[in-house]
Amino acid sequence: MSMEDYDFLFKIVLIGNAGVGKTCLVRRFTQGLFPPGQGATIGVDFMIKTVEINGEKVKLQIWDTAGQERFRSITQSYYRSANALILTYDITCEESFRCLPEWLREIEQYASNKVITVLVGNKIDLAERREVSQQRAEEFSEAQDMYYLETSAKESDNVEKLFLDLACRLISEARQNTLVNNVSSPLPGEGKSISYLTCCNFN
Amino acid sequence: MADNLPTEFDVVIIGTGLPESILAAACSRSGHRVLHVDSRSYYGGNWASFSFSGLLSWLKEYQQNGDTEEETAAAWQDLIHETEEAIALCKKDETIQHTEVFCYASQNSGDSVHEIGALQKNASSVASSTFTEPLPSAELPEERHSYVTNNEMPAKHASESDSKISVEEGDVEESPEKEKYCGDKTCIHPGSDGDKVENKPIVDDDNNQLKRNVITYHQMVQESRRFNIDLVSKLLYSQGSLIDLLIKSNVSHYAEFKNVTRILAFREGKVEQVPCSRADVFNSKELTMVEKRVLMKFLTFCLDYEQHPGEYQDFQQCLFSEFLKTKKLTPNLQHFILHSIAMTSESSCTTLDGLKATKNFLQCLGRFGNTPFLFPLYGQGEIPQCFCRMCAVFGGIYCLRHTIQCLVVDKESRRCKAVIDRFGQRINADYFIVEDSYLNKETCSDVQYKQISRAVLITDQSILKADSDQQISILIVPPVEPGASSVRVIELCSSTMTCMKDTYLVHLTCESSKTAREDLESVVKKLFTPLTETEVDKEELRKPSLLWALYFNMRDSSGVSRSSYCGLPCNVYVCSGPDSGLGSEHAVKLAETMFQEIFPSEEFCPPPPNPEDIIFDGDDKQADAPGTHTTTVANLESPEESKKLESPLQS
Repeated sequence: MSMEDYDFLFKIVLIGNAGVGKTCLVRRFTQGLFPPGQGATIGVDFMIKTVEINGEKVKLQIWDTAGQERFRSITQSYYRSANALILTYDITCEESFRCLPEWLREIEQYASNKVITVLVGNKIDLAERREVSQQRAEEFSEAQDMYYLETSAKESDNVEKLFLDLACRLISEARQNTLVNNVSSPLPGEGKSISYLTCCNFN
Repeated sequence: MADNLPTEFDVVIIGTGLPESILAAACSRSGHRVLHVDSRSYYGGNWASFSFSGLLSWLKEYQQNGDTEEETAAAWQDLIHETEEAIALCKKDETIQHTEVFCYASQNSGDSVHEIGALQKNASSVASSTFTEPLPSAELPEERHSYVTNNEMPAKHASESDSKISVEEGDVEESPEKEKYCGDKTCIHPGSDGDKVENKPIVDDDNNQLKRNVITYHQMVQESRRFNIDLVSKLLYSQGSLIDLLIKSNVSHYAEFKNVTRILAFREGKVEQVPCSRADVFNSKELTMVEKRVLMKFLTFCLDYEQHPGEYQDFQQCLFSEFLKTKKLTPNLQHFILHSIAMTSESSCTTLDGLKATKNFLQCLGRFGNTPFLFPLYGQGEIPQCFCRMCAVFGGIYCLRHTIQCLVVDKESRRCKAVIDRFGQRINADYFIVEDSYLNKETCSDVQYKQISRAVLITDQSILKADSDQQISILIVPPVEPGASSVRVIELCSSTMTCMKDTYLVHLTCESSKTAREDLESVVKKLFTPLTETEVDKEELRKPSLLWALYFNMRDSSGVSRSSYCGLPCNVYVCSGPDSGLGSEHAVKLAETMFQEIFPSEEFCPPPPNPEDIIFDGDDKQADAPGTHTTTVANLESPEESKKLESPLQS
């Protein structure tokens, strides 16, 4: 397809523990499929879906972790130039929720500080096995200044909404940026550096 | 660890440097099951890049390398069967030596008021009695003095004036804090001449307002993430094998590049821009009309020198520098061609090699911009990671912070059959690729290494001011003594995403003859002044100031042949660390050769299916992805592809 048939192109990146349903969310959204019990995604770098919002064509390039999250070995370049991050956990898995701060640290370190982050609690179809209450997640997302949503890739609950809302935000953000003359985007870095004891740091 | 590693693979790769990462991508792309591990917590090994804080902690790790106890690892000796023997892998990385750090930026963080007060008092009391020469500003004696006060290095002292040395001596007694610091250093770093730190504390607030915005050490730490400081300093030749591989394999999708904007030369104590493209030559204000004509004529000849053997035949065995003298080129043009365009040695390069190098340079011009080089945004350290991503996309499994303890060799077949990791887990594979720093001393007992001398500088302005402050420049400083190695200087601006705003990141590289500081300090002094010695009133003429400097030596194993390693089984392959060259052609060639040795009939890094095709071809095709080859090949030429590489250049 040529470059001209869309008005906006955004890179959306999924992160979160292995097995929380990141790939399922992407597949459900881009292809309308829910492949149960699918293994790792081989050979697919990112998926594309073009949506129309208020008459404008928005091309979403959605990147998956390629399994590198399994042993906490995601490459930094994965985060670079992402316009939005979808930080996913599994509402039936406490552990996947408890790892969120670790993921936020990575985001802070490598992603642009203009990136929009959405917290997603997936697998609400398994409500009877819920381990993470909605309230806890809401509090957490509020404290971290993130947008929050619960989804089911299986039942297709909120999946469209997740991506379309995100697209809307990205558009309005992009418009604002062009208004402010698109000054070079600063990187994240307000304060929270990992304070290593430095060899110069003696006084 | 949330998960156990699988234990059956086709290829196990240890180390995530560039050649290992390219191999990982190639093997995985061909459908082989790849495990790629690194004992470090970061990608790239000696090809890595770091944030400022990350670099400081990397330094600390090397300084403590001697006395860190190996974490409790499962004993592997009992896990070796009778029919097997083990080759232990090295636990300590010994590829980095002679690290020396100098901080010139103010370390006044605003919250250590007491410390600063003490130093100021200290400084003025001595300064008043010692400095007799007139000083341009009331603040300056304090500044200069405190720089000396905290300078503990004998080597540095030698270069200071006598009066300063006497200041320093007098000061030691008055500064118990200082002595304590020295004591600490000795403890941490016994018997090493490594790491020195100079504290340059005070830039007075009043003074600050008069001057430009002076970056402090505190700011650099705070903005740490804006730095991406490469351990190796390289560029990509725009017609080089790495660019070709990146494009062919689609790995270029994961990175963005900027064009190097200037080729510089250092001649008669001055930095000047080298005109190298046709447009440059014609627009040059420095060259006379005659020079322009002669230079254009020579460059045009170089582009197809093979067609004009008569021009150079008699000089084939002569030095290129001698040949240039016969071409009516003025001395500055000869310098430009020899050092900045051909980038060859005055005393050893033959005419034929010189012409070849010049032609290569000219051919690389204009593919992406008007210099032959590209630089990856966020640093060279991104490139290995991009190949790792490609490997992972095709099913490769990644595990950083994962130490492999030994290779397990079958006594009868003399083949390596497995590795044992730090949990005592046995991981089986057919082929093993090991980065050379993981090999133990016995394996490497016959190996002779070269060394690379490196300096990393953070400075406050460009070595050659221009209309735009966002320049990426390369400068070759020829050796003072013939036969010594020339020094390559690459200066990066903040829009390369490798340093914070209002700073420049400068990389110096040369083949070592001594320690990195001994090899490079003279060039650093020619181009920069320490922040403290900046002459405030000569703002226009002054050299850029050094805010921070690091020197280190890195082992160069690129010349080591496979046969120099003792006792390695034939299915264990060794990748070398970075070489000192400007491009990454060595790493690409190594990876490709090794891949073809292991899998002779398979294609090296063919283009993957285009993700967009998967979507548009229909519902669920990703499983048989390789089937979409033809579309992808066509896609290589599509506007989208070239855009990827070109778009950053236009900005």
